[in-house]
Amino acid sequence: MIRFEQATKYARTKGIKKPIIEDASLTLNRGKSVGLLGRNGAGKSTLLRLIAGAIKLDSGRIIRRGKISWPLGFQGSFQPTMTGEQNVRFVARIYGVETERLIAYVEDFAELGPFFKAPVGTYSSGMKARLAFGLSMGVNFDYYLVDEITAVGDTNFKKKCQAVFETKLQESDIIMVSHSTGTIRDYCDCGVVLEKGKMTYYENVEDAIRAHNKNMKES
Amino acid sequence: MGYFITHFRVVGALLVREMATRFGSKPGGYVWALLDPAAHILLMTVIFQAIARAPALGTSFMLFFATGYIAFQFYQAMTGYLNAAVKANKALLSYPNVAPIDTIVARFVLQMGTTSLVAFIVLGTIVATMRVDTNIHWPSILEAVAMACLFGLGVAMVNCVLFLKYPLYEQIFTIVNRPLFLISGVFFLPDSIPAPYRDLVLINPLVHIIMGFRQGFYPEYRAIGLDMDYLYGIAFLTWFAGMLLFTISRKTLRNE
Repeated sequence: MIRFEQATKYARTKGIKKPIIEDASLTLNRGKSVGLLGRNGAGKSTLLRLIAGAIKLDSGRIIRRGKISWPLGFQGSFQPTMTGEQNVRFVARIYGVETERLIAYVEDFAELGPFFKAPVGTYSSGMKARLAFGLSMGVNFDYYLVDEITAVGDTNFKKKCQAVFETKLQESDIIMVSHSTGTIRDYCDCGVVLEKGKMTYYENVEDAIRAHNKNMKES
Repeated sequence: MGYFITHFRVVGALLVREMATRFGSKPGGYVWALLDPAAHILLMTVIFQAIARAPALGTSFMLFFATGYIAFQFYQAMTGYLNAAVKANKALLSYPNVAPIDTIVARFVLQMGTTSLVAFIVLGTIVATMRVDTNIHWPSILEAVAMACLFGLGVAMVNCVLFLKYPLYEQIFTIVNRPLFLISGVFFLPDSIPAPYRDLVLINPLVHIIMGFRQGFYPEYRAIGLDMDYLYGIAFLTWFAGMLLFTISRKTLRNE
């Protein structure tokens, strides 16, 4: 379960203050995967980072029950000077996972070949996405926070993602940001639309997509 | 409890990461972390020995210069490395487990260990090859090192925040920090400076650190003007300011 209690966060860049969420209260229950919809720049990625706890709220709080992944996007949380393998080792250590098992899993999943031992800075965005995806799937979480990642990669990789996701989804939930309503429809049961600092929850993902499309037409 | 275990794990992982990226790419690895500064100090010592033959203390110019330089390095290498601790690990902060303070702790431990080992190698070599026996007074040495590390840590924590918020400050700090080597008493004794200027020189806490450190190697050194209370006061105050600024700015440190 993830619960927002009067959560408020503003994004500040160069003196411009923009609300991401304002005084938002909402409960997301276990057992349902959530699609997060909103226009460009609404703050969907920031919201994911807030849920993960990578950044903090300005006021209010988020109560988390269960293990939540880091926000998993193709920008990556990777240190570019470290090799893929070193990055995997790092994550294994900080999450207390058996190092060698995780390395074997990710090496097999990401199919990076010799690049697995090259600095992440030399990777293409597709390669980074494969590493990020493989890495997070190798660690067990109750919630996986996914930021547009399935949009990257070729058909083969997408198929692989889908397969591993489906097995994961039996025990875990995902919270997903995507601009592709098709992807949201495939993976999510319910939806949250983020618009002008307000989060609106929809029990049915179709309702969320409809509300999102309506927002897009209005502007 | 789980909270501490996480921090412990993260610091451990960061330590390995720092060592791997700093030295892992070269053949020889961590040995270079020791050899590089050790060679640097020995070379500087040889050069200064050629310029000034008679040391201000004792008979060995090498020992005189190396004690000053190493005491100075406990501060200088510390801030130089820790100033960028948060910035250099920015990508890793997107893991919610990793807190900005963990990057500081990891680099602090690594740098303190490295400089200590360098000190053992360089000073050990010099003392062992000297003809005269040296009486080493450990409490003075450890006290000076502890204060140098604490002061360096405080300065670096302040810098981590301020460099991020005010890029102009980084320029100013670099300019001010550069001549410190010349005015901190690495190759002269503040005791020998005439009265009105000596008080000015003694404002610099590093002067006290170096004087204290040298007392551990020269039992006969009287260190006129050495004020340990002043040094403790400045070091703890700086460290406290660093902790305070770091804590209230932790949101900025993560977001930016």
